[in-house]
Amino acid sequence: MKMNKKNLIQQLKLTFADTQLNEHEDDIIKIHAKKEQVKTILRYLKDNMYNHLALISCVDWINKEEFELIYILTSYHDDKKSYKETGDIYLKTKISRDNPEIESVISVFENAEPYEREIYELFGVKFSGHPRLIPLFLERDYEVPPFRKNFDTRKYVKDVFESIPVIPEEEE
Amino acid sequence: MREVELYFGPQHLGMVGNFSITLNVEGDKILKATADPGFLHRGFEKLMEYRTWMQNFPIVCRINVVEPDHMEMVYAMAVEKLAGIEVPERAEWIRSIYLELARVGSHLFGLWAYSNMLGFDTVAQWAMYHRDLILDLFEELTGGRVYHIYIWPGGVRRDFPEGFTDKIVETLHSIGKCVPDYNDIFFNNPLFYERTHGIGKITREEAEKWGGVGQVLRATGKSFDIRKVQPYAAYDKVDFDIPTREEGDAYSRVMVIRDEMIESVHLIFKLIEGLPKGEVYNKVPNPFKWKIGEGESYVRVESSRGELGLYLVSDGGDKPYRAHFRTPSYSHGLTILEKVLEGSNISDVGNIMISMYVVAPEIDR
Repeated sequence: MKMNKKNLIQQLKLTFADTQLNEHEDDIIKIHAKKEQVKTILRYLKDNMYNHLALISCVDWINKEEFELIYILTSYHDDKKSYKETGDIYLKTKISRDNPEIESVISVFENAEPYEREIYELFGVKFSGHPRLIPLFLERDYEVPPFRKNFDTRKYVKDVFESIPVIPEEEE
Repeated sequence: MREVELYFGPQHLGMVGNFSITLNVEGDKILKATADPGFLHRGFEKLMEYRTWMQNFPIVCRINVVEPDHMEMVYAMAVEKLAGIEVPERAEWIRSIYLELARVGSHLFGLWAYSNMLGFDTVAQWAMYHRDLILDLFEELTGGRVYHIYIWPGGVRRDFPEGFTDKIVETLHSIGKCVPDYNDIFFNNPLFYERTHGIGKITREEAEKWGGVGQVLRATGKSFDIRKVQPYAAYDKVDFDIPTREEGDAYSRVMVIRDEMIESVHLIFKLIEGLPKGEVYNKVPNPFKWKIGEGESYVRVESSRGELGLYLVSDGGDKPYRAHFRTPSYSHGLTILEKVLEGSNISDVGNIMISMYVVAPEIDR
């Protein structure tokens, strides 16, 4: 059976029963999945046309006490016509804000590695199974990961950079 | 032989831009390469959450120093998609002309970096001079040389001044006249061929596996180009080719860039010929009170290095809730570079890196 978007959606609904699937205009399919299923669904999508992971992003919904991870997938197309056949997929999952952890997807998409490192550094989301979960960009240590909504950039800048550092006098 | 750890950049003669690679070498051979970005991290995506929709333009265009225009475009497109704003026909065509000019300018800048690094100083000077001619055009149009903030949600800031399209044609002709000279001294030069042929080779499967886009992918024979795949601005109204090569090495990447530049110039001529008349700007609400309804959008454009995307979220307020840029150099510089450098020589590090046109500010953001 040749895979197209229509029977891919059907297959997805059958295989992953408790995921939520929405089709939108502009050729976008949004999938809301549980975090345990993300890796399996990604592997399934990769095997079925969606072989290009464009972006992994994270949004801090502080009022709902959760992070939302978004995996944006498409396919390496040649032209507009073949794009219409697949479109984009936004795979979303929600994880709790305290002690956030999710399985790494590097074994499915190798270019996920820096994205996961970045989200770990800026949001404090742990990716289990990531081979080098070390800081990517930042040099300083922060109490709160700096891209979380409860990190006040302006206050931090004022506190850290607007005063002349006091060098404690040596005790005799 | 002893294994040595070598810090290649950010203070290194072979490094262009604020980027560093830690190399584990044995003699001249690289055993392991670790990309180390962050020297230019300004936290722009976080800062954008503190500014209103329109205030973000000066930040957005500074994400990529080499080519701010595609950054403006992708942000304007995302805001338009969220707020449901239409763009007049003429503005779409003007945007395309403007973006293609930016592409040529950016490729010339890349050519400067590459030829400079390989020691072809003459070509470097030429490329810089010719880029300057394009910057002169931008200065006349927008008032700024490097950062223009010309594209706005709803269209472009102002119409082309009278006789401006003639000036574009004239400038491009004067640059085009030098293409045979560029070919003789650089692209067809046996020295250049020897220096780049077979260096940093990637197969198509590898490029796709590692998230390659732009000329990294097109040099392996895959013609993945957002202008064709998901046309924006006026790209679906004119006909143009996507140059590709099969070899996947540094030489073919540079040749793809050269062919792309020439194709872009032809594309600009076609766009100028078909440029419709009309308005260039649809009014948007008062920027100080402008609130955009809840929603999310991911838009993408083809920058001079490949797929450039922006994931923008609004919570119904007057500021973005979250912005995340998907920049082409991110995968190229952090994933592909590390893999390709393994097994190559120290003298080829800069060569491979610039052939993939890795731009550090774009990675750091």
